[in-house]
Amino acid sequence: MIKHVLLVAERDVKMFLQYKFILILRALWFLAQIALFGFVANRMVKEDVQIVTGNYFYFYAAGIVITLLYSMAVFISYDIYEEADHGVVEYLLSLPISRRELVLGRAIGGGLRSFLYVAPLMLVVLLMIGMTEPFRILIAFVALFLFAFGVSGMSITIAVSIKSHDRFDILLGVLNAFIVRLSTTMYPVVFMPKQYAVLAQFNPLTYAADIFRWGAGLEATLITNPFLSVLGIILFFSFFTFIGIIFYERRLEGGGWR
Amino acid sequence: MKKIMHLLEYDFRNFFRYRWWIAGMISMNLADLIVMAVVYTNMVSQKVSGKYLNYFLFFSPGITITALFAAAFMIGREINRELRREISHYLLSLPFSRWELAFGRVLSGGLRGMVYMAPLLVTTIFVTWVFTGNLPSVLGVAIILVTLFLVSIGTSGLSITMSLSTKSFEKFVTARGVVYYILFFCSSVFYPLDFIQQLGREGVIPQLLVLIAEANPLSAGADTIRSFLLGHPAFNPLMMLNVAFFAIVFVLASGFAYLKILQG
Repeated sequence: MIKHVLLVAERDVKMFLQYKFILILRALWFLAQIALFGFVANRMVKEDVQIVTGNYFYFYAAGIVITLLYSMAVFISYDIYEEADHGVVEYLLSLPISRRELVLGRAIGGGLRSFLYVAPLMLVVLLMIGMTEPFRILIAFVALFLFAFGVSGMSITIAVSIKSHDRFDILLGVLNAFIVRLSTTMYPVVFMPKQYAVLAQFNPLTYAADIFRWGAGLEATLITNPFLSVLGIILFFSFFTFIGIIFYERRLEGGGWR
Repeated sequence: MKKIMHLLEYDFRNFFRYRWWIAGMISMNLADLIVMAVVYTNMVSQKVSGKYLNYFLFFSPGITITALFAAAFMIGREINRELRREISHYLLSLPFSRWELAFGRVLSGGLRGMVYMAPLLVTTIFVTWVFTGNLPSVLGVAIILVTLFLVSIGTSGLSITMSLSTKSFEKFVTARGVVYYILFFCSSVFYPLDFIQQLGREGVIPQLLVLIAEANPLSAGADTIRSFLLGHPAFNPLMMLNVAFFAIVFVLASGFAYLKILQG
């Protein structure tokens, strides 16, 4: 079973590498966020913000890399839509692989490829901030690896629940808008109005940003302790990987993807 | 003209058929206004935003212009889809000249941007009035609308030109993202132009970025709204000239690109 699952995951990673154009553009997008907005915003903020964050530029860079991980993990659903459009699903179903293996492989492949893509950019951010505690970074990377799986599972769940590509693209845009803004990826919780701060505490992106900042040694701004962040990510990963597999498996029956 | 009206009707019907898209866009703009702008208002120094009373008032016109840009950009997405699904063949079979077809699509993209942006502009005017008591004159509103229309039609042209350069939806979406970020971040949408110029003088950011921000039509659009609502920066006719140039270049580029694709 593991061999089959890994074969499916390998296929997804290889497919991802074919999107050279998109990968380069996404990396440029990340650099634009940090080098343009991050740099100017760092100069715009009050002295209090610099005191709370230690350095707002580092704080922002560490948050933006998490939003990139999130947006890349979501990408697996676009492949699922493309396959449905081009009749590749029938081919996949004809392979000597069970449906459960196929679905599990997609979830793992989606998480793995996004993590492999974002990990070097995370290292760039860590080098910029200064790596002091390698063991912490290792824990943070393991947690973020699970986070990427969870986001892929969530994306697959949404993709198989909505047949229209356009609606999916839009729904994902809305979800991104609120999930990113109502998290601590871009700003510390102390500057958020109370109602937003409460929502941010239950946001998986906050857990991911917190654990990455903890790994990077930017501890002053964390709103959850590292143990709770890891626990939150594990719960998020378990829930959406499980739900995504069930939904996708059901949708594959009887041509439900068409 | 009557034929172009038919095309406008076709594109507006399509636009309002995308209820999900409109709902999604509204959510994104609301998220920017009620979450991001509110939080950054607590974070941005008064030295930067003081001339505009606070960052929320500064950012509201910025959100209006980003909404206009995103809505006007939507036409490119539809034309890309028509190309992929070969609906363009059906359009060619209709009794329109190719020029009418090309120009009608650019115009409808621009008008759709204006229609979508209108409630946000009204909200921005209302919010500014509540906080400052300022209301723009009739001439001020007219100048704002003309400027925004030029930004909108130029954006529609830019989007169509980009959508015709690839049949891949993913490539179009990603390229759109990059164009969004460059035009949004190298502009006065998020930060005042004089602050960007100051950072340029101090050598904190490269002069090239300052030049892009100064020439960016989104800067001209956002600053025109601020001029008449907040009184700062002072209105400069060059702002209108900037967006007129942007509109002419991309309306022509998209018209030629569309004709070339249709004839190919």
